[in-house]
Amino acid sequence: MSEKSVPSIELSQVVRTYGAGGPEEVRALRGVDLTIPPGEFVSVAGPSGCGKTTLLNLLGLLDSPTSGEVRWDSESVGQKSDRARARLRLEGVGFIFQRFYLLPTLTARENVELPMRALRVPRGERTRRASQLLEEVGLQGRERAFPHQLSGGEEQRVAVARALANRPGLLLADEPTGELDSGNTQAILSLLERVRQDRNASLVVVTHNPDVARRARRHLTMRDGAVVEDVREA
Amino acid sequence: MMGWGRGRSLRHSRLQLVLAVAAIATAVALPVVLVSVGGGVSAHELANLQNAGYQIVVSAAGLHGITHSHNYTDQILSIPGVTAASPVLSVTIDAFTHSGGTPVLAEGVIPDQFYPTLGPTESGLFPSPLPLGDPTDDVHFAHGTYSGSATYDVLVSTPYAAAHSVSVGQQLVLSPVANRSLGTTYNVTGTFGVPPTVLGPTGAFAVLVPLSDLQAMTGYAGGSAVAPDAVDTIEVAATGSIATNPSALNDLRNEVQALFPYYGVSSLTQEAQQLQSASGVLTGFYLALSSVGLSVGLLFLALVLLRRVEADRRSIGIRRALGISGRSIAGEIVWNGATLALMGAAAGVIGGYLIVEALAAWTSSAVQEAAQLAVFDPVILGELVAGVVGLSLLAGAVATRTALRMPISEALR
Ligand SMILES: Nc1ncnc2c1ncn2[C@@H]1O[C@H](COP(=O)(O)OP(=O)(O)OP(=O)(O)O)[C@@H](O)[C@H]1O
Ligand SMILES: [Mg+2]
Repeated sequence: MSEKSVPSIELSQVVRTYGAGGPEEVRALRGVDLTIPPGEFVSVAGPSGCGKTTLLNLLGLLDSPTSGEVRWDSESVGQKSDRARARLRLEGVGFIFQRFYLLPTLTARENVELPMRALRVPRGERTRRASQLLEEVGLQGRERAFPHQLSGGEEQRVAVARALANRPGLLLADEPTGELDSGNTQAILSLLERVRQDRNASLVVVTHNPDVARRARRHLTMRDGAVVEDVREA
Repeated sequence: MMGWGRGRSLRHSRLQLVLAVAAIATAVALPVVLVSVGGGVSAHELANLQNAGYQIVVSAAGLHGITHSHNYTDQILSIPGVTAASPVLSVTIDAFTHSGGTPVLAEGVIPDQFYPTLGPTESGLFPSPLPLGDPTDDVHFAHGTYSGSATYDVLVSTPYAAAHSVSVGQQLVLSPVANRSLGTTYNVTGTFGVPPTVLGPTGAFAVLVPLSDLQAMTGYAGGSAVAPDAVDTIEVAATGSIATNPSALNDLRNEVQALFPYYGVSSLTQEAQQLQSASGVLTGFYLALSSVGLSVGLLFLALVLLRRVEADRRSIGIRRALGISGRSIAGEIVWNGATLALMGAAAGVIGGYLIVEALAAWTSSAVQEAAQLAVFDPVILGELVAGVVGLSLLAGAVATRTALRMPISEALR
């Protein structure tokens, strides 16, 4: 697996409007300016519906801005084709979704293998790596379980393992510890932190958990589709 | 809560798969049964017709209506292209051994003319040449005077020979009535086989004698009661080039008809053609009927596939979110649909086959007979399966396209 260098990510005047022009138009982001240099650990907080998930989707090229620009290393990528953005995601982004989004018909290990399969990692290597990742999130012995056979916390940890499978340079985590007890929360955080340090990955975590936010070096607060506070620790 | 919900949807989708396969299988099994049975029955009828060694039949309405049969036979034989003309008289008489008498079906024939009008399967049942003494039946007939000497040779069917312990070299008394003393003694010079399905048990008791012998014995040689030199039919065989050419055969038929405007003259290829076109119509009808079933099944398949893609929308969204290419996602979904269709179609073909086999084994009378004749045409079956798979590919492709076009953030909701 080739490791791409970690990009510097820049959002300028990014607006995302859902159902634009329609009766249920929602302005989820209203002109966000934000730069995240490689290796930064950022926490994002804010009330429900303020646009945190929307922001992560735009940072990770899952979604395109209605207006404004998303740049990776000064290159405009936000409006690239679906296919080009898919490739960049596959190779460089790890998503830990708020709602996990595990594939219900695949086992825990197959879920973790999924990105590696798309990257054509040889079967032996990807099975080994998937098992290792599951072990790191404390799920050894649960490789063959299907998502519906797992608890919420276990599902969340499978989602973490899957997000790490492609050795991403950009890790985007949406409430990654929402379902976890404090012991598991600390373990997962340590894992994410270690991955971040290992390859200088950027890590953006949406969280309301002070224990999680405390580990970050930069804290964003959002309200009504805008970043209203951006605090960097020394 | 979540776990329960998803477990349920997983089982639900499995049930959907099973139902889809079953629906396709049903839709395919119906035409398999209809077409193979229909095709088999008509093919059998055709084969029966083509199995005859003659192509033209002269017959008369009413009993023993063709008179002057020796003369007419000679006239027919003089037409170019005719290889044999065989007058046949069938009468039920009584045959007596030393232990008693029994009714038998007697056929009077001209040996040299009779044998060439036998079909390929029939001719194997008779000795060749027929050991009936007077090959052309001219000796006894004696130009219509019946003053020549009879051969008194008879061939008996093997079922009769077995039932009455009659063997070649023995003697048999044949009588037009159930009275031995009014009979004539014949020498058994040979036996012939009877195909078991053609004649029932009584018909299996049959004897073959020279035409003039039977006519003289039964009064059909002529007299006050009946017309002279009478037979039931004259079967006419043509040369190979005419027999296989419908228009040439029709010309020949017309020539024969011109000789006997008052008798019925029909050609078997006419009948075969009629039957063939009738069976074509029938096959078309079967296909139309079963295509209704097939369309219902395919419609169901399309619906199931669309529903599955709808249900898979989230899964597709997740895969897309992870960066997996649309092409490989589409490939997987279309492949799944095609596999499903192939499984259903295969199950349908096997199911249809088993249904026909079951009908052939467990039912009775006409249904069983028809089922036993069923022919499974690999071309039609292959087309059926290919059509089902092709349509499922199409449905899967259309459905997947829709799912791949919506924004990921929407697909994930
Ligand atoms: N696909 C969508 N279509 C229409 N509206 C959307 C869509 N996704 C989000 N929204 C709306 O956009 C706004 C921002 O949503 P977003 O999911 O970014 O909020 P959030 O900050 O992540 O909230 P939460 O903390 O509850 O997860 C909300 O009002 C939401 O209803
Ligand atoms: Mg959210």
